[in-house]
Amino acid sequence: MLKERVEVVFRKHYKWIMFIPVIFLILSLGIIINHTVKTGDLFEKDVSLKGGVSATVYTQKAIPEEQIKNAIKVDATVQKLEDFTTGKQIGFLVAVSEINADQLQQILEQQLGEKLTDKNYSVEETGPKLGQSFYKQLLQAVFLAFVLMSITVAITFRTFIPSIAVIEAAFTDIVIPLAILILFNIKVSSAGIVAFLLVIGYSVDTDILLTTWAIRKREHPLFDRMWHSMKTGLTMTLCAMVVMMIGLVFSTSGVIKEMFFIIFLALITDIFSTYLTNAGILMWYCEKKGIK
Amino acid sequence: MSFKRIFKQWRVWILIVCLFISYFSINYQFSNQGVIINGIEYNSTAARAGITNPTPDIKPTEREHILKVNSQGITTIDEFTNAIANIPVNTTFDITTNKRAYGLLKENAAIGITLANAPSSNLRKGIDLQGGTRVLLKPVTPITNDQTIDLMATMENRLNTYGLSDLTIRSASDLSGEKYVIVEIAGATKDEVKELVAGQGKFEAKIGNETVFEGGKKDITRVCKNDGTCSRVSTCGASTGGTSCRFEFQITLSPESAAHQAAVTQTLNIQSEPSGNRVLEKPLDLYLDGKLVSSLQIAADLKGQKATSILISGSGQGPTQKEAVQAAIAEMNKLQTILITGSLPTKLEIVKIDSISPSLGEQFVKNAIFIGLISLIGVAIVVYLRYRTLKIVIPMIITVSSEIFLVLGLAAMTKYNLDLASIAGIIASVGTGVDDQIVIMDELLFGEKTTSSTSIKQKVKKAFFVILAAYFVTVAAMLPLLGAGAGILKGFGLTTIAGVTIGVFITRPAYGAIARAWMEE
Repeated sequence: MLKERVEVVFRKHYKWIMFIPVIFLILSLGIIINHTVKTGDLFEKDVSLKGGVSATVYTQKAIPEEQIKNAIKVDATVQKLEDFTTGKQIGFLVAVSEINADQLQQILEQQLGEKLTDKNYSVEETGPKLGQSFYKQLLQAVFLAFVLMSITVAITFRTFIPSIAVIEAAFTDIVIPLAILILFNIKVSSAGIVAFLLVIGYSVDTDILLTTWAIRKREHPLFDRMWHSMKTGLTMTLCAMVVMMIGLVFSTSGVIKEMFFIIFLALITDIFSTYLTNAGILMWYCEKKGIK
Repeated sequence: MSFKRIFKQWRVWILIVCLFISYFSINYQFSNQGVIINGIEYNSTAARAGITNPTPDIKPTEREHILKVNSQGITTIDEFTNAIANIPVNTTFDITTNKRAYGLLKENAAIGITLANAPSSNLRKGIDLQGGTRVLLKPVTPITNDQTIDLMATMENRLNTYGLSDLTIRSASDLSGEKYVIVEIAGATKDEVKELVAGQGKFEAKIGNETVFEGGKKDITRVCKNDGTCSRVSTCGASTGGTSCRFEFQITLSPESAAHQAAVTQTLNIQSEPSGNRVLEKPLDLYLDGKLVSSLQIAADLKGQKATSILISGSGQGPTQKEAVQAAIAEMNKLQTILITGSLPTKLEIVKIDSISPSLGEQFVKNAIFIGLISLIGVAIVVYLRYRTLKIVIPMIITVSSEIFLVLGLAAMTKYNLDLASIAGIIASVGTGVDDQIVIMDELLFGEKTTSSTSIKQKVKKAFFVILAAYFVTVAAMLPLLGAGAGILKGFGLTTIAGVTIGVFITRPAYGAIARAWMEE
C-alpha cells in the first residue's frame, strides 16, 4: 500500500525531507534580496505601482506586438487578449510609464488607423506619486496581514513549535512564488500584491488542518491522522488549483489572470511547504513530546 | 437521502430564509422593463416640468420608468427619441411615468432627459463593469472632515448641474492618513469630466486688480442655462487650425455686487476704441482658477451704473464648424455649471484617472459568469473523483452556489458597487468555499463508520475548530486591505470578508446539518 510505503520512508528520512522546501526558500530569498539590492524594489513593478498608463484596445485588427512596441519607442508592455472559446483576438493591453494617456492614444490611433473612443478603448492613468504610495502601503498591508495571521495562529494552537511551523509554511508560500515572478521577469501590479494577501489567507488552511489532526486528536495513530489530513488538504488545494487554472485560461481580464497566476504558484508551493516541511516539524515535535 | 430529516434542521432553514432575502433584494427582472430616467439637465424643459434626477440611493429597479409620451407607449430609448422628435416645437405634450404624468412645453429640440435601459436587477455595477470614468483626487492642502463633506456635496451638485447623475462620490483615507475623494461617473468620458472634478472652480471677475464679484450664490443670484433666450452659441468664424465659435450667456448679480461694481467703474476714465465705440479704460476680466477666460469691454454708459445683468462670453474651437459649435456648447456648459455651484473648498490634484469602455465592461461581466460556472463544474469533478458519490457532490455545489448568491444579495442590499476586484474575490471563493465542506466531510468519514447522533455531532464540532481558525486567519489577512490603497482595493477586501463570513456562519452550518442528517441514516 502506498500509505505504508510513504510512512516507512517519511519516518526514516523526514529530518532531511523537511529541508527540501527550506532550501528553495533560502534560494528564493537570495533571488529577492539580490533584486532588491540591484533595483531598490522587491520585485518588478507594473504601471499601477510606479505610475503610468495602462490601456486596453478592443479591436479585431491583428497588429504584431513588436510593431506597437516599436511605435511607442519608450519601454512598453504589449499583450494580446484572446477569447479562449473561439481563439479570436478581442484586443490587446498596453502598459507604459514614460508617456501620458493622450500621447499613447495618439500613437495607437496611428497604428490602428481608427479612432479610439469610449466604445473600444479603456485607459487607466496612475500618477507616479500615487503608484509609489500604493506600493508602500500594499507592502505594509502584506506585512500587517502576516503579523495578524501569526497572532491568530498562535492563539489557536497556544504551543510554540507547531505555530512557528504554520507561520514558516505561509512565509514560504509567499517567498517562493515571488522569486519565480522575479526569475521570469513578470511585472506585479497592485492586484498582484492583493493576491499575496489571499495567499496568506488560503495557504494556512491546510497547515491548520494538518496541525490540528496531528496534535489535537489522539484516537488514531499519528501517521494515520496526518495521512488522512493530507488527503483532505490535497483535495482542497486541488479544487482551488482547478479554479485558478480555469480563471487563467478563460479570463479576458489582465487583473484576474495575474491574481490567479500568483495564487496558483502559491498553491503548488503550499503542497511542499505543508506536507514536507510542516509535516516534518510536526513529526519531530510529536515524537519529542511523545504524542503518538 | 431523507429530505424530511434535512428540513428538520434549523440551520437549513436559516440558509433558506437568507436565500429568499437575497432573491428579493437582488430582485432580478426576467422580462424587459423598458426605459428609466437616468438624468435631467439643469433648468431644461424636463426639469421645469418637475421631473427630477434620480437620487443615488434609490434601488436600481425602483427608478422612474417612462411609460408613455402622449398616448404612445414607450419600451425602448429609440421609441422615446422618435416620439419626442415628432412633436413640433412650441406645442405641449405629456410624459407619463410609473410615478405620475408631467405636462411639458417643447421649446427646442432637446428637452434635457437622458434615458437608460431599465436595469435587470438591483445589483449595482461599478464603472469597471458598466463603463465610465473614475477619478481619484487628492486635496493639495490638508482638509478637515467638514471640508471633505462640503467638497463632496459641491462636486455632486456640480456634476448633476452639468447633466451627469449616474455617479458615486466617496471619500477614503489610506494607512498613512492621506485623504482622497473617489468620483465614479457612469457613461461619461474622462475629457468631459476632468476639468469639472479637478478644477477648484474659483471664479473671479476683476477690473484692474480689484475683484468685483466671485462665483457662487452670494454674488451671482442667477445663471442663465439651457434657455435659448439668454444662453447661446452666437457666432462662428475661421481661426488658426479650424473654426472658433463664441458663446454668451447672462448672469444676474446680487444688488451688493452690482453696487460694488458701480463703485469701481465710477473711478474709470472713458476712452474711444478704433471702431468708434466709447468704452471704459479697463475691461472686466473673468478668471477661472487664476486663468483668464474672458475679457469684456465695458460700455461707457455703464460707468457708475449698478448693472445687475451681465453677459458673459467665451469661445470653443474645433477643426470643423460642427465640432467648434459642440466645443463652444461644452465650454459654456462647464462655465455655467461652475458659476452656479460655486467653488470647492480646496484645490484638488488628479492622482489617478481611469476611463473604461462600456463594451469592455459588458465583456467582463459575461466572462466572469462563464468562469464562475466552469469553476463550479471543475470543482464538482474534483470532488466527485475523490468521493465517488453524487450524494456528497450535489450538496457541496448547492452550498457553494448559495454562497455566491448570498454575497450578491448582500451587495444588492448594501448598495455596494460590484467591480472587477470584487468579482475576482467571488470567483476565488468558489475554489475555497468548497474547502471547508471537504473538511467537514472528511472528518465525518474518518475512522469507524458511526450513526450515533452524539459522535457525529462531536465530529462536526471538531471540523468547525479548523474552519473557524482558517476563517479568522483569512479575515485577519484581509483587514489591512480596508485601509490601504486609497479606497480602490477596499472592494476586494470587503467582498472576501463578506464571502467567508457568510460561508462560515450561514452556508457551512447548513451543510454540516445536511451531512449529519445524511450520516445518521
